[in-house]
Amino acid sequence: MLELRAVAADIAGAPVLRGVSMHLPPGGLVALIGRNGAGKTTTLRAIMGLLPLRGGQVLLGGEEVTGVPAHHRARLGVGYAPEERRLFGPFSVRQNLLLPAEVLRLPAAETARRLEAVFTFLPELATLADRRAAGLSGGQGKMVALGRALIVGTRAVLLDEPFQGLAPALAQRYADALRGLHAAFPRVALLVTESNPQLLEPLVDTTYVIERGEILTADAATAA
Amino acid sequence: MGEWFEQNGALLGLALLDGIASAALIFMVAVGLNLVFGVLRVLNVAHGSFFAIGGYMAASIGLLMTAVGLPPWASFAALLLAAVVTGAILGPLIERFLLRRVYAEESVLQLLVTFALFMILEDLQKIVWGVQPVSFGGPVALMGTVDVPFAGDVIPYNAYQVILLPVVALLTLGGLAWFLRRTLAGRVIVAVTLDREAATAMGIDAGRVFLLTFTFGAVLAALGGALSAPTASLVPGVGASTIVLSFAVVATAGLGQIEGAALTALMIGIGRSVAVTFEPELEVVVPYLIMVAVLLLRPQGLFGVPETRRI
Repeated sequence: MLELRAVAADIAGAPVLRGVSMHLPPGGLVALIGRNGAGKTTTLRAIMGLLPLRGGQVLLGGEEVTGVPAHHRARLGVGYAPEERRLFGPFSVRQNLLLPAEVLRLPAAETARRLEAVFTFLPELATLADRRAAGLSGGQGKMVALGRALIVGTRAVLLDEPFQGLAPALAQRYADALRGLHAAFPRVALLVTESNPQLLEPLVDTTYVIERGEILTADAATAA
Repeated sequence: MGEWFEQNGALLGLALLDGIASAALIFMVAVGLNLVFGVLRVLNVAHGSFFAIGGYMAASIGLLMTAVGLPPWASFAALLLAAVVTGAILGPLIERFLLRRVYAEESVLQLLVTFALFMILEDLQKIVWGVQPVSFGGPVALMGTVDVPFAGDVIPYNAYQVILLPVVALLTLGGLAWFLRRTLAGRVIVAVTLDREAATAMGIDAGRVFLLTFTFGAVLAALGGALSAPTASLVPGVGASTIVLSFAVVATAGLGQIEGAALTALMIGIGRSVAVTFEPELEVVVPYLIMVAVLLLRPQGLFGVPETRRI
């Protein structure tokens, strides 16, 4: 579904990605593990088109999207939940969830269907729908950010360090959600970054390890 | 106090009315400056030039309309037309061909670029309209005067400044608040203001939002200038004094504050006109005294919320 071929990118003149290649199959759950500064977030931003590439290609469903403007990638079905949850504070949870659907001018029936799917998958969001995003706790915010990425991401969803800063009970709840995600959204390819591999290991199909902007290993877990 | 008031009550009333009228104009400029800075993160020093050019344009179009024999009420259309023409031509040109090239640069460079733009526009304006005062009084004469009761006195004041200007400013305030909170386009602008990258990931074309917001801000400033044309003669330097006052309003109110900008414009407008009336030598410093006093107590501005630190 999503493929990176030798993606290279610089930030402020310094190489941050040096030939990152990876592959996410439809419905696959892939982990990208690495220390802080290894290039995890930059990899996700490169997929979203949020920074210029020095080389390499990004392919979605077999088609090259490397030159597609960043704001068109949402339309192509790539959802992104950045590390800091980055919700729009003055908006309600519902407005946060619906903003991408409105911006993409999805038909009302399609919007309702996607919102329903997200509420079924994350029931707590239905009860928070009318709350202002700024008033949410960290864990609630992460759930809303996941829901918002799922509204957009009909083909691939990128989650940047979703467990960061979550209390153990909430991290467990988030891991359960990820485990159930495949059943609820069977065709969506999921890419999750994490600095702590233990949290993700039981869930994922493939683990890539990134260090100094290079993929060191790719292990296909037997559990897949 | 009572005796002072008896002697100076009418003067004070006059100062208040002057202040309200000038606050309405400052607000139109400051609210656009605020909006543009929130979205583009570029402090546009040349924002006051839109005010000046809008004013000159209004005078030119108004005088032209009178010359070709259009009915007097058409001068109101001249004001609106001048604002739209000025903003809709200069806004997109400047955003697309100048500012777009410096978004990634440091803010010092951006300031230098918009300062250079300010000087270019100032000279351009002198080339087109010269350095002699230009005035166009049509709409003021047309609306006549109203008697404003104040503290037992009756102050005759022109209706244009005491009714039309505040009404336009209030409509702008209400319309903008409604637009930003209740419409999708408004929420898109707010989203880009809050987090450009997250907004882009939601499918929002930030470049387009930049262009439209900048143009809208330019139209608002030009409208302020056009509305000022009937009450004050236009002279070189009006753009500079306008941008300086607007900076004071935005800094005092806090960034991103629309209602706050309205109240602060009122404070500064009235503060200035009261100074002009009673202690003219203080006129120039009063806006900054208000600004400094507020910022000493609340560095984020009267209505601003402290920005949460992002890593």
